[in-house]
Amino acid sequence: MVVLLISIILLAPLTAFAIHALLGLAKQGFPRQDILSTFAMLVAFICSILLFWQIAPDPKPHTIDWISLGSITFSMGFYLDSVTVIMLIVVTLVSSLVHIFSIGYMHGDPRYPRFFAFLSLFSFSMLFLVVSDNLLGIYIGWELVGLCSYLLIGFWFEKDSAADACKKAFLTTRVGDVGMFVGMMMLFTRFKTLSLYDGADAGIFTLVEGLSGTGDMIWLSIAGVLIFCGAVGKSAQVPLHTWLPDAMEGPTPVSALIHAATMVAAGVYLTARMFPILTTSSSLVIAYVGGITAIVAATIAIVRFDIKRVLAYSTVSQLGFMMLAIGVGSYVAGLFHLTTHAFFKALLFLGSGSVIHAFHAMHSHHDEEHSDDGEHDHGLIHEHGSEIPPDQDMRNMGGLRRKMPLTFITMLIATLSISGVPFIFSGFWSKDKILGGVLERAMEWNSIHHYILFVVALIAAGITAFYMFRLIFMTFFGVPQNQEMHEMAHESPWVMTVPLLVLAFLSIPVVNPLWFNKDYVKPPEQHHIHAPEHAQVLPDSKTRNSDFSFAFLGVSDAHAAEGEEDGHAADAHHAHSPAHSIAMILSIIVAGVGILLSWLFYHKRRFSAEAVSTAFRPVYNLFWNKYYFDEFYDGVLVALTVWKSRLFAQFDGSIVDGIVNGVGTVTRDVFAAFTGFFDNSVVDGLVNRIAEITWAAGGRIRRLQTGAIQTYLFVVVGGIVLIILIFRVL
Amino acid sequence: MEITLKTLIFYGFALMTIGSALAVVTVRNIVHAAFALMVTLFGVAGLYVFLQADFLAATQVIVYVGGILVLILFGVMMTSGRLQMRIHIERGQLLLGGGITIALLMLLLTVIANTPRWKNLSDDGTEFAPTTSRIGELILNEHFLLPFEIASVLLLVALIGAALISRKEVRD
Amino acid sequence: MTLQHYLVISAILFSLGIFAVLTRRNAISILMGIELILNSCNLNFVAFSRFVTPPENIDGQIIAIFGIVLAAAEAAVFLAIILAIYREFGSIRPDEVDTLKG
Repeated sequence: MVVLLISIILLAPLTAFAIHALLGLAKQGFPRQDILSTFAMLVAFICSILLFWQIAPDPKPHTIDWISLGSITFSMGFYLDSVTVIMLIVVTLVSSLVHIFSIGYMHGDPRYPRFFAFLSLFSFSMLFLVVSDNLLGIYIGWELVGLCSYLLIGFWFEKDSAADACKKAFLTTRVGDVGMFVGMMMLFTRFKTLSLYDGADAGIFTLVEGLSGTGDMIWLSIAGVLIFCGAVGKSAQVPLHTWLPDAMEGPTPVSALIHAATMVAAGVYLTARMFPILTTSSSLVIAYVGGITAIVAATIAIVRFDIKRVLAYSTVSQLGFMMLAIGVGSYVAGLFHLTTHAFFKALLFLGSGSVIHAFHAMHSHHDEEHSDDGEHDHGLIHEHGSEIPPDQDMRNMGGLRRKMPLTFITMLIATLSISGVPFIFSGFWSKDKILGGVLERAMEWNSIHHYILFVVALIAAGITAFYMFRLIFMTFFGVPQNQEMHEMAHESPWVMTVPLLVLAFLSIPVVNPLWFNKDYVKPPEQHHIHAPEHAQVLPDSKTRNSDFSFAFLGVSDAHAAEGEEDGHAADAHHAHSPAHSIAMILSIIVAGVGILLSWLFYHKRRFSAEAVSTAFRPVYNLFWNKYYFDEFYDGVLVALTVWKSRLFAQFDGSIVDGIVNGVGTVTRDVFAAFTGFFDNSVVDGLVNRIAEITWAAGGRIRRLQTGAIQTYLFVVVGGIVLIILIFRVL
Repeated sequence: MEITLKTLIFYGFALMTIGSALAVVTVRNIVHAAFALMVTLFGVAGLYVFLQADFLAATQVIVYVGGILVLILFGVMMTSGRLQMRIHIERGQLLLGGGITIALLMLLLTVIANTPRWKNLSDDGTEFAPTTSRIGELILNEHFLLPFEIASVLLLVALIGAALISRKEVRD
Repeated sequence: MTLQHYLVISAILFSLGIFAVLTRRNAISILMGIELILNSCNLNFVAFSRFVTPPENIDGQIIAIFGIVLAAAEAAVFLAIILAIYREFGSIRPDEVDTLKG
């Protein structure tokens, strides 16, 4: 049953893609192919729900051999645990909704069937990655996801900016993939397998327990950090985050899919998958990368005016939170935030798509969007203020809440959720768990690193609330900034609003029945996380990790802890309980402050954002220019690459070519001359001598052939006489 | 060996044959040579009679004298334009040819003289029997039927070939 | 008369024919020499048939008849060739017809 469900989940989108591809090859495509993809995703979603009930009673890792390939080392298999199932549900659900939304949003696009083919392949790749039980399978899915994101970001490849953005996305994630591959190979050379968990003692997770000693720890840390490099690229962590905002060049449903369910989630998922091999130091690296990403992206988002860029940097920031959670060992919190974020971020993107779509009414058609973009040339890949498309510029919006009530309400719910408004919105719970997890780790270990990370995350959370409400205020409140565009705006068709409503429903946990089953997710054990020696309390890691659950509804952490039977539960409870209480209070405060400030700035206009930006010009410039990451890459890495290429070109031109030319010259002038001489004198001489001898001999012998028959007769008769004479005499 | 009339006649034919053959190879006028050849052929026919080959002797006269010799004379007439065509002989060639011929003759005579099986074979006392009917039977029986047919085909081929070769080129 | 008489006559005829073929500068004279040679051969056949084989065996004579047939055919073809050569070269001297001279 489980195998059947998994097969359907994987094969449905793949089949849809294959049919699309074949129809496209046969030039038989028709516009209603969207039904095919959407139906396939809905089937996959339903199967995922069924799988949830199959796996639910026994939330332990299931390893299922799908195909036995005899002696081949990397047999395909599925690693099913509760996290896999949750990911399957999230991916298929968000993907289904994105499919439905795309029916409206992409309506009239000349490459409409192709879009759905790519969406199907994208979904399949992500699902394959999620269920794979070995690193090789994950890597295959990983690269497929990268390919599909490349295809979809560059879907409107007529636009230079889109073409540049898809290349940038592909190349940037490639940088991380190299690290990931090296990490995989390190694990492989040590363990002789890429299987994560094979039921016996041969999987990486089992084998990694046997490691001990300082050398092994350093080695394992390096491997972990290298694999995390892949996640840095895919999940757009600093310093490889620059591709994600540029990926906004793709169609908005693609942005929703990339940001919520597939591409970036893959990185977090991978990091979570590799949780058992993380060591103290690699965890700290991950936590720091996540924390820095969270604050950097959040500060950049403050000053953006492009509605999609704000959301993009928001995604980067939230991904930073997830990485931070995994880095501090709050496995459940990280995945929980991944799930909640998937829903509200998909909602935000689809909502922004709805707004953009409304403004598109001016152009009335999509293809004009990419035709009129040709006139301003995107020389550089990254955005500049002047290059924001008018229908995405929040300065042109305002007052839309009456025009688009459904879009407004659903986006408001998502914003409340991401901002961490307490209790009824899912984002609050997940973000609170992350903050609590960080603070808990800090208090347990008395670690200055984790205290710093907690403060950073807290500030980032506050900034998140600020810039998200800035978006809401600028877009939906106030007076219309652009009267003409405002007149044209309208509510989107039902295929676009229904997914918004579904996602809004999922963002409010009160009405969300998906995760009542507490303790559903159990974090795997980490054997190589050790508290520093000065740690005050050393709780049992198992206890500490397992008492978070997705069953947050009406269940406080204390309640969750009560579910633990063993005696450590009490200690653990004492250890983390104050941390979570403090974290919750602090997060409510910063969220409130952020919203209040945003309200004062952008709704009441009590303070002028321009005045503040002028007052803090250097800081503003830093944020506006996105910490100069792109400039750094252009100026240093790209320039270095170009310089290096020039150097190599010179090396190539002078030395390699010189050697080749030198060899050529020597060959020509020395060897060729010698062989030419030999050829001319000896070989030709020999041939000519033979010919001359033959010629001369022929000239003499030819005289024998007189042509006079009587001469011949003389010879014949004389010869006969001679012969007879000789035989008579002898 | 007693000298009888028969012996004298034999020697007469022998001398006639050899003498006229000598004339064939020595006279300068080719028409004279042709007539000398006729005498030689008659002489050989006479010798056939002495060998009791009556049919063969008749055939010799009819075919050679009546056919081949006329052909030769026609050839002479058609190629020379005048009947007094001189046969030109070079001295060196004559000497060399003569030398080789004499050597050959000496060789043959030596062989004839020194072959014991051929000695003292005489035809004295054999009765003459006409050969024509026997030849006809042999030729039309199995013994020589195939060669006979082949010879007829050969003659036909020679006839057509000679006509084809000797006729004037027809130019289109 | 013995076999040797005929053989000697035949040998002389043969030699004279060879002499004509070797020395004469006229194709028709060469043909005459060839006829002499053929006659000597026929004479030999008949003589051996007469003296060596039993009297009733006259195969030698039949061979001689075939020889005469061959001689007739040969003479016809020979003269045809001579005519063709004469038309081509204007001469029937064998030393002048030397296109094959190397």
